[in-house]
Amino acid sequence: MTKAKTKPPDKRIGLFVCHCGINIAGVVDVERVAEAMKAYPGVSFSTNYVYMCSDPGQQMIIDTIKEKKLDSIIIAACSPTLHEKTFQEAARLAGLNPYQIEIANIREQDSWVHVDKEKATRKAIRIVKGHVEKALKNESLEPIKVDVTRRALVIGGGISGIQAALDIAEHGYEVLLVEKGPSIGGKMIQLSETFPTLDCSQCIMTPKMVEASRHKQIKLLTFHEVESVSGFVGNFKVRIKRKPRYVDETLCNLCGECEKVCPQVVPDEFNMGLSFRKAIYMPFPQAVPGTYTLDAANCLGLSPVRCGKCKDVCEKKAIDYDTKDTFIEESVGAIVIATGYDLYTMQALGEYGGEKYEDVINGLEFERILSASGPSGGVIRRPSDGRIPKSIVFVQCSGSRDTEKHLPYCSKICCMYTAKHAMLYKHRVPDGQATVFYIDVRSGGKSFDEFYQRTVEEDKVLYIRGKVSKIFKEGDKLIVWGADTLTGKKVEVEADMVVLAMAMVKADGVQDLLRRLKIATDIHGFLAEAHPKLRPVESLNAGFFLAGCAHGPKDIPETVSQASAAAAKVGDLFSQSELIHEPITVPVDDEKCSGCGICLSMCPYGARSLDLERRVVTVNEVLCEGCGACAAACPCGAAQQRNQTDEQIFAMVSAMLKG
Amino acid sequence: MKVHYYPGCTLKEKAVALDLSTREAMKLLDVELIEPEGWTCCGAEYPLTEEKIMGLAAPARVLRQVREEGGDVVITTCSFCYAVLKRVNYALQTDALKHKRINAYLKDDIKIDPLTKERTTNFEAYNGEVKVVHLLEYLRDRVGPGKIASRLKRPLRGLKVAPYYGCRLLRPQKELALDEPDNPHIFEEFLKAMGCEAVDYPFKQECCGSYLSVSLPEAAAEASYRVLRAARMNGAQAIAVSCPLCFYNMDKRQAKIREMFLDFPGLPVLFFTQILAWALGVDKGALGLDDHAVPVDKLFEDKRNAEVIL
Amino acid sequence: MRVKLKAGPEPRKFIERIEELSGENVYACYQCGRCSAGCPMAAEMDYLPNQIIRLVQMGLEDEVLRSKTLFMCASCFTCQSRCPKGIDLARVMEAVRYVLDPKGRDAFGPNEISPELAQELPQQVLVAICRKFSK
Repeated sequence: MTKAKTKPPDKRIGLFVCHCGINIAGVVDVERVAEAMKAYPGVSFSTNYVYMCSDPGQQMIIDTIKEKKLDSIIIAACSPTLHEKTFQEAARLAGLNPYQIEIANIREQDSWVHVDKEKATRKAIRIVKGHVEKALKNESLEPIKVDVTRRALVIGGGISGIQAALDIAEHGYEVLLVEKGPSIGGKMIQLSETFPTLDCSQCIMTPKMVEASRHKQIKLLTFHEVESVSGFVGNFKVRIKRKPRYVDETLCNLCGECEKVCPQVVPDEFNMGLSFRKAIYMPFPQAVPGTYTLDAANCLGLSPVRCGKCKDVCEKKAIDYDTKDTFIEESVGAIVIATGYDLYTMQALGEYGGEKYEDVINGLEFERILSASGPSGGVIRRPSDGRIPKSIVFVQCSGSRDTEKHLPYCSKICCMYTAKHAMLYKHRVPDGQATVFYIDVRSGGKSFDEFYQRTVEEDKVLYIRGKVSKIFKEGDKLIVWGADTLTGKKVEVEADMVVLAMAMVKADGVQDLLRRLKIATDIHGFLAEAHPKLRPVESLNAGFFLAGCAHGPKDIPETVSQASAAAAKVGDLFSQSELIHEPITVPVDDEKCSGCGICLSMCPYGARSLDLERRVVTVNEVLCEGCGACAAACPCGAAQQRNQTDEQIFAMVSAMLKG
Repeated sequence: MKVHYYPGCTLKEKAVALDLSTREAMKLLDVELIEPEGWTCCGAEYPLTEEKIMGLAAPARVLRQVREEGGDVVITTCSFCYAVLKRVNYALQTDALKHKRINAYLKDDIKIDPLTKERTTNFEAYNGEVKVVHLLEYLRDRVGPGKIASRLKRPLRGLKVAPYYGCRLLRPQKELALDEPDNPHIFEEFLKAMGCEAVDYPFKQECCGSYLSVSLPEAAAEASYRVLRAARMNGAQAIAVSCPLCFYNMDKRQAKIREMFLDFPGLPVLFFTQILAWALGVDKGALGLDDHAVPVDKLFEDKRNAEVIL
Repeated sequence: MRVKLKAGPEPRKFIERIEELSGENVYACYQCGRCSAGCPMAAEMDYLPNQIIRLVQMGLEDEVLRSKTLFMCASCFTCQSRCPKGIDLARVMEAVRYVLDPKGRDAFGPNEISPELAQELPQQVLVAICRKFSK
């Protein structure tokens, strides 16, 4: 390929090679790199420094730009994900356009992955040369300014969603709180008492629920589901489905006559199937909103109407069988995902009987049994025959910490709630025997260990260190096979009831929504945070924030903290007068575009569209995230990414190959 | 249908009932059983260390012989044989080093032509191609419930039978892949197909004591007792096994169990193939019922538990 | 009783040998005790199954080789099927027995079986027990 006669470069590029302590300098001879580049065409200044990102390092850059009248700089250092913004800001302070700076990664791509110092140094030189070629053709760019819709959407009405909504509302912004069930409250409202204070869960939660329903800035949308989200951070369009409740919540006066006459009896999911409800029901007395809901799936039939008794007795005429799904479109600027969790199914644990034994239950079922508003009014009775159990065995780690067949992670809350369960049982059945089988007791939170010690010392609960191998029924007793690894004995316990601390898993029925929203999740289906240490409440998808157990197992204090943190992040977003959108987008060169439209199908953000009249493609630069897929696919070179054109890339490759 | 059948050494002498009832039953299902030529004992135990490879040569040889005779499937009823043969296949398929070493043993074998008596040594490597299928699987998948139902002459009307899997049919699950170790149902489905009521009890997959009945007779007796007791407590009138050792421990040693545990009134032990044979119409005398220490006659009375379909 | 954990290659060699023979990573065991809880013979053993692998983890070769537990394992694989880390403890047991072999301990062999008993035993038992427990 013949080369066109190269014009002498007219840029004054400054090169700053960082030692990064010994991270880079331990393998790459940074002084040599800086020295070798001094004579390279386009480079006006070249130096090296121990920590470029430090204050003196940055000051050096700023001073040098001014002194040497540099119009472009290259920092040869760590990955741009870490300090690109740092150096862009430094450049800006020196009067340079931030898009005239290049980060040459000679750490993650060089010193951290090679051991041969000579070869690593030569590679660093090549990398830098490539970036010089790119820098020679970089243009100064201005960020795209975008408006922000200062309204938030919170998906999920449990404690995390409610907390996030309240905090965002208190900032003064409007919040849509969407909950797919008939009432907000989530799992926390099902709990009896919470550790370590033994606060009545409903007593501490209902005030928040009421506040959420009454807050001027919160629009409560229960029995609604998010269908789809389009747009981008600061400018989302959300389509929400309003499912038919068949009862007008503004008219319902909770007289309860409908419930009395309904002939359909179904297991009550609020009580974990331990009691029954009617097809027209209130999930629990403090439900918010306070209204009845008709469960169409379990009603005898609505079209045609097979029963009609509830409508007949409703004096407020609140019941309308003809309600249909309706959809609303809303604009929001930020979305908080707070969709919660579910418990691992007992069916997976055949050695514990699967779901065969009525008296082998999970933690939530035991919460309902403990609850004053539960199936036995707070008296602990076993599900099979209603007898008060004189011996309960609690089995921790059921399904968790199992790399072989179940979930490899620790579900975090079980040690604490098992101690709580055992303690509450002993308070109510003082002559009962509570035995806990554990592998470890994890009680790291504030006052947690003291709480656990009370369970053992004051309530005399027997803790046996050994994972249960088998649970089976003999007569009307349950036999639990465990072992005490501390004394080295096999242990068999006869129990009236067994409570399994089942693993926490991703919420049922939410995966589909997350997929449609293109939200990143980990292999277990929990939401993926942007950075595990430093960005725990943000999703990798801009504009989406995470709160609560949808992100991973955690207890209530952590959930509330995270929800407030997510709300604060939303506040950060909304407090900006406008959003800055990166200008490294892919425009369309009208003259070269053939209107083939291939780039449309490549774009994951829907940023490109075909102008049928002019037969060229147009791009909405605000939607463009600069991924470059269209640029790669375009057969005529009409799609060239700003500051990453084909010409620049070829120049980089040439320089790198030449050595 | 023709299929290769590996009885295993015990079936030819100490557990004749299992072999006999299998043959008689298969005849009535139009299945011709072919024993591989010159088969030997499978070794009973699959060696569990990485260095004891020689013990895998014999079972590999048996399987190769099936292949040489044109078979691609071999059925077996003895749980021990099933486990050894199936695990050898798994090793050959997944462990390159074992494959090399086992075939190194097999390489020097001499093949004798049955007709010409000519000796050759040109065996191809055996790679685990022959599928080892337990009779329960074979009945379910190859013979089929439809055919079995059509051939039933005496379904055991509601006889409560506890299926006993023991260890060797189910574990280790990855290698045997027959069913879920803690929630299996292939045996129950078989019993239901025979007209029995399959008793659900929590010890169907717990160990009967295995070979420890020789070195630790009391410990093994207690293990068998736990199984039998649980079966009985859940209403079983009999317990069905698939293994001569389980049978020995629970039937031949039942007297000793009853001596040690006075509260246990006893429970008849059957081979599942005896149930199959009876249900298909095999003559009572050809079921090997005399071999039992605990009498089982009453279970096979035409009047009470069976129904003759004309 | 004080156990002095020796530094140096010796205990490491023993552990490595067990791992090599069994194909199992003994360090993966977090001593939950489920193997012991489900083992049909655990009640008879001097060391519980989980303690055997613990002794191996600590490199206590002499102690583990002296245990009677090694000859109480029925190879029923209940431990392996329920272990949350998927460790095949039966293989570890066999590996320890194998290491013991050269030291000439014949825990149970043909000499322990009377001719009358041999007559009534199914062949598979004779083969199995001799292969497992005798030199």
